[in-house]
Amino acid sequence: MRKTLLASVAALAVVPALAACTENASSGGDDEGGDARALSVTSNADTCELSSTEAPAGTLSFDVTNSGSDVTEFYLLGSDGLRIVGEVENIGPNLTKKLTVNAPEGEYFTACKPGMVGEGIRAAFTVTHAEDAQEVSASDQELIDQAQDNYRAYVQDQSAQLLAKTRDFTELYKAGNADDQARALYPVAREHWERIETVAESFGDLDPKTDAREADVDVAAGEEWTGWHRIEKDLWPQDAKGYAALTPAERTSYADDLLANTEELDQRIQATGEDALEYSITDIANGSIGLLEEVANGKITGEEEAWSHTDLWDFQANVDGARVAYEGVQGLLETKDAALAEELTSTFAALQAVLDQYRDGDGFVLYTALTKDDTKKMTDAVNALSEPLSKLTAAVTS
Amino acid sequence: MLANFLIGLREGLEAALVVSILVAYLVKSGRRELLPRIWAGVALAVAVALVFGATLTFGPRGLTFEAQEAIGGTLSLVAVAFVTWMIFWMSAAARGLGTELRGQIDRAAEGGRWSLVVVAMLAVGREGLETALFLWAATQAGTRDTAGSVTPTWEPLLGALLGIVVAVALGYLIYRGAIRLNLTVFFTWTGAFLIVVAGGVLAYGIHDLQEAGILPGLHDLAFDVSEVIPPSSWYGTLLKGVFNFSPATTKLEALAWVLYVVPVGVLFLLRNRIVRPTPQPQEH
Repeated sequence: MRKTLLASVAALAVVPALAACTENASSGGDDEGGDARALSVTSNADTCELSSTEAPAGTLSFDVTNSGSDVTEFYLLGSDGLRIVGEVENIGPNLTKKLTVNAPEGEYFTACKPGMVGEGIRAAFTVTHAEDAQEVSASDQELIDQAQDNYRAYVQDQSAQLLAKTRDFTELYKAGNADDQARALYPVAREHWERIETVAESFGDLDPKTDAREADVDVAAGEEWTGWHRIEKDLWPQDAKGYAALTPAERTSYADDLLANTEELDQRIQATGEDALEYSITDIANGSIGLLEEVANGKITGEEEAWSHTDLWDFQANVDGARVAYEGVQGLLETKDAALAEELTSTFAALQAVLDQYRDGDGFVLYTALTKDDTKKMTDAVNALSEPLSKLTAAVTS
Repeated sequence: MLANFLIGLREGLEAALVVSILVAYLVKSGRRELLPRIWAGVALAVAVALVFGATLTFGPRGLTFEAQEAIGGTLSLVAVAFVTWMIFWMSAAARGLGTELRGQIDRAAEGGRWSLVVVAMLAVGREGLETALFLWAATQAGTRDTAGSVTPTWEPLLGALLGIVVAVALGYLIYRGAIRLNLTVFFTWTGAFLIVVAGGVLAYGIHDLQEAGILPGLHDLAFDVSEVIPPSSWYGTLLKGVFNFSPATTKLEALAWVLYVVPVGVLFLLRNRIVRPTPQPQEH
């Protein structure tokens, strides 16, 4: 009887081990497919460096080396940033441990956790389609789930970055002696807002407080103008007639208000459980359409950034957001209307090519530098895209 | 060095605690002839873990992350069951000792002879696989050529081994201390202590299963004191090594801990009819 007990304990340990064995990815250099799936990670106190941020689907191996002085961990997380696809713990200083995982095509996050606490140092990781990967059967429902997961992760990631940069921006602005730095960060921080503008705008209480333009505020009716564009005017007062600069106390009050509203926005976007935002396939497709409309209505006209003239940053960010939302449902669209998918992919590329002509360093030329011909070219490219894009929702939900 | 030492210490402590109390019990109850069974269990666990670790590190096939966690988690749950059984077996045998009924103890020890091997094996083997993977990784680091991004060194292996040595030494000290206690005190304290330890093992097993995705609620935290008790600090290491205390504990882990420690503790105290206070860690 005792022997039976022993045997069952042993079986308990061995059976799952055998059932769950997985190929150790090839470490030999002669097989190219194997190479692309063998990645290395270097982790120390402040960095988490990967040899590549993408790999083909299949059995991936991560050689995680700890070059820091504290114990570290490495995680591969699902697109929601929560589900653990694989992890290696207890990597002591000077050690290399291997993580082997089976990863189907999709978006992931990698995270190093020096000291084994907190969220870790995260980065996006993409597993690309591979012909030789194990077949991952993807039904429509799986494509839909994947699109929703990916889109949620994207919105949450952008929101977190928006919050971090808004925090930096408001600090610089409040300091009073760092206006140049604040002006440099302004369009960069707002990119994250513009990429998820359709989601951010859906909060009717927060949007007017953070993103209202002066022209939209009815001061006579007792409305107060706050948010990004209020601060924008104070940082770029040269076009304003007889403008009186804000006092340090007013600066602090507007900056704190903007940060508080951004924190609230981020909190709602990051919410989990019952309060979690739902993004249906319709929402995602409509979001793509909506973001392109934003371009046509505000950015191409130069109305959005009336004082800073950094409209092209917003333009690019709106297009980014529209493209990411489209790409989220692209797999689904390909199974329903392959021709439309092809047309959308090429018109997105064409619009990007037009926009790329106006790059200047890390950013873009100011809107005031554009000629009528320039804006005409942009309008044409936007119109060329908006026509097929308007069919997207109907096509993916059919 | 310190970080690798602490890893060795933590993994070593988890095993050394149960083994030292088991040995102390057998010595105190005059069952020295059963000691080889314990050592056999320990040796078996070490050998199996080292072979497994070596195969998984150097062999063509590795273990998926889910499988590693599922095995670790399942073994933890089995270990809890066995340690719980052992606590009550010990206290039953102790009653026999108190009334000088040698035959009764013999029967108890006889019944438990193979179980002793299993308990020792589980106590050591539970964390053994992970420790073995660590040690093999450390030997690889020591022998790796300079192609790696860090200089090859034996330092991690040395640190980890030193940690295990210190853990064994601590286990021996616990054993010495336990030997000096009178029987009643010995059973009360070691029994109560083991219940808290087993509660920790249970919570840890639950956490492993949550990480493997078998149980839900991995991100639903009951509390997070990582700021105050960093897991890689020496005190974090000791708390983890002895009580399996996790600074960031999920609700399910906390629930499992309470649901185990409270009824088992109450039952244990009732059976031993003891009114003295039992050691409870402040952290939980």
